[in-house]
Amino acid sequence: MITDFNQPQRQNKVGILVLFLDTIRHFSRALFPIILISLIRIKSLNLLLIILTLLLILIVFGVIAYLKYYYFTFFLDHKNQEFIINEGIFNKTKTAIQLHKIQHVNIKQSFVQKLIGVFSLEVDTAGTNNQEIAIKAISHKIALDLKSKLLENEVVKQSLSEDENVDTTEIKTEPAFVKISFSSLLKIGITSNYIKSFFILLAFFLSAFENIKQIFGEKSIDKSKIDGFLEKNLMSDAIPILFILFLSVIIIVNLVRVVFRYFDFKIINQNGTLLLSFGLLNTKSTIIKPNKVQIVSFSSNYFQKKMNVLEMKIKQATNGEKEEEKAAIEIPGCNNMEKEAILKIIFGKNPAKGIELKPNFRKLGFAVFLTIILPLSFYLLVKNNNKENEIFNYLVLIYVIFVGLVQYFKFRNNKLFLHKDYIIKQSGAWDIKNEIIETSKIQGILTSQLFWHKNLNIGSITLHTAGGKIDFQLGNFEKIKAFKNLWLYEIESKNGNWM
Amino acid sequence: MQTFSNEIIDTKILPQFENVVFSKLHPDYWKVILINWLFLFLIGGAGLFFASFHIKEIAENKTIFVIGFLVFCILVFVFLRIGFLKKGFAFREHDVLFTHGIIATSTIVIPYNRVQHVALHEGMVSRFFGLAKVEIFTAGGNNSDIEIPGIAKAEAENIKQLLMGKIQIQLQ
Repeated sequence: MITDFNQPQRQNKVGILVLFLDTIRHFSRALFPIILISLIRIKSLNLLLIILTLLLILIVFGVIAYLKYYYFTFFLDHKNQEFIINEGIFNKTKTAIQLHKIQHVNIKQSFVQKLIGVFSLEVDTAGTNNQEIAIKAISHKIALDLKSKLLENEVVKQSLSEDENVDTTEIKTEPAFVKISFSSLLKIGITSNYIKSFFILLAFFLSAFENIKQIFGEKSIDKSKIDGFLEKNLMSDAIPILFILFLSVIIIVNLVRVVFRYFDFKIINQNGTLLLSFGLLNTKSTIIKPNKVQIVSFSSNYFQKKMNVLEMKIKQATNGEKEEEKAAIEIPGCNNMEKEAILKIIFGKNPAKGIELKPNFRKLGFAVFLTIILPLSFYLLVKNNNKENEIFNYLVLIYVIFVGLVQYFKFRNNKLFLHKDYIIKQSGAWDIKNEIIETSKIQGILTSQLFWHKNLNIGSITLHTAGGKIDFQLGNFEKIKAFKNLWLYEIESKNGNWM
Repeated sequence: MQTFSNEIIDTKILPQFENVVFSKLHPDYWKVILINWLFLFLIGGAGLFFASFHIKEIAENKTIFVIGFLVFCILVFVFLRIGFLKKGFAFREHDVLFTHGIIATSTIVIPYNRVQHVALHEGMVSRFFGLAKVEIFTAGGNNSDIEIPGIAKAEAENIKQLLMGKIQIQLQ
């Protein structure tokens, strides 16, 4: 007989033991320091007293475990198609999940649970932590029954998706529509990420050169003089040489990594689903389902733009599993045409860039304040007026110029494109990144405004999706609000599938 | 072929979230906040009191410490009060709005068709006043969830049903 879950029911009675051990584990972390201190402090060990306290603590834990057990009930509300869990002794929580929102049901057994012979059951909905909805101790039969009950209407969905799978396997594999060439991989390997460190080094070198010039006057720089300088300041010059070595090692390692990892990168379009395969030694393959895609981003820097290569990143909805980093799929070194082809498959068309929104200059001011003025004033406060500090003064100057430039370009490149169907955010100082989300993938919209920005009409917006968020600060608040209304209308008037 | 229209939408005639009148939290919730924080401050005050027996510096400058502690408490309560007054919620036909914030006023909107699940939470003190907190979860991670505290229990239950009902409609 299949147990009905119409009535609120408790967990297995022996489950109290699991809850008891859980409570001990939970509190021991907090109580451990106190126990340690009291053990050290109380020198005259009164054995009886210690045993009594331990006993008392155990009894208290036992009572807590029992009350936890007593107040923890779960049941299926058939009328509303909900699964409801009540818990809490003093602070009570009632969690209600709609059955059709349930993605997985996991039945697990820990060591303790194995000893007692009970199982725990975890319910996953999209994008939530497993911890939120879990029953700690039920028998195997009840766990299985409950699982089947919870997933009852899932059966329809599953059979549907199985059909889809059959369909896709029958179709012959089409030729790859995007193939990343070896040269593209090389280009990406050389230019990605490490340009930044290269430029730091370049700036460092130039300034060192300037330094030498200043010390020895503006006259032609004699080689012997430099040699002499080198001997005198072997240490200070060894550092940049080491840096160069370090950098080239980084670039080579990066190059090798990119080639090994992404060699023979192929994308096959199968009925609108993208199949990716890549790798030199062990070939990996992943699938991109366009309706699961939440955020698409591509980035390129100056050199990459000249060489017509860019890096793409695609974030899909996390399916209850905690694999957020794995959920981002990288496509290195595709060119503009390939990018557009991929975007077309994911979005159905090329995402339109809407109205451009630029941040207020105050954003630059705030960034400069945080990254330059604050550290600089700290430096001026700390430094003593020794002559030896001169080299540091130059370093600080380089820092100010470099960070200032980075902040300026960051500010200049920061843009938000508002459109009815797509939101595109551009950002970055050197690597310019474009993030695209579809309006229908939005889960929630947060707008926020500092009270002294009200008259200035500037404010911030954060768009949450199941694959991460996009935020933009200090833009025209009127426009932001207008588009928030429009997007809400779009989301609410259509029953768009976000996953 | 189905009739398909794709007219231009005038964003000015759309419902405007910024004109929504927000419901304030239940006045009793202020008492809940007061009791919770008074309890904390009592513990802090007791700690200070006992510390004054052991630490010379505190014993010598008793008045300064007492005044400092009181000023700190008052400041905290002032900010709590402003924060309490700034919180508000609204349920529209298709979405739920929550506004909060002392220095920056933030408004988060979650459409009903993006709600994953709902939880009702009753704290110990809240329960004494018959209040509950509605927690609304989406798939967008922790930051995109809404927690509305200080709602009368019956109303909270209604809100839960409303949210669930709204999600039900999506099914059909």
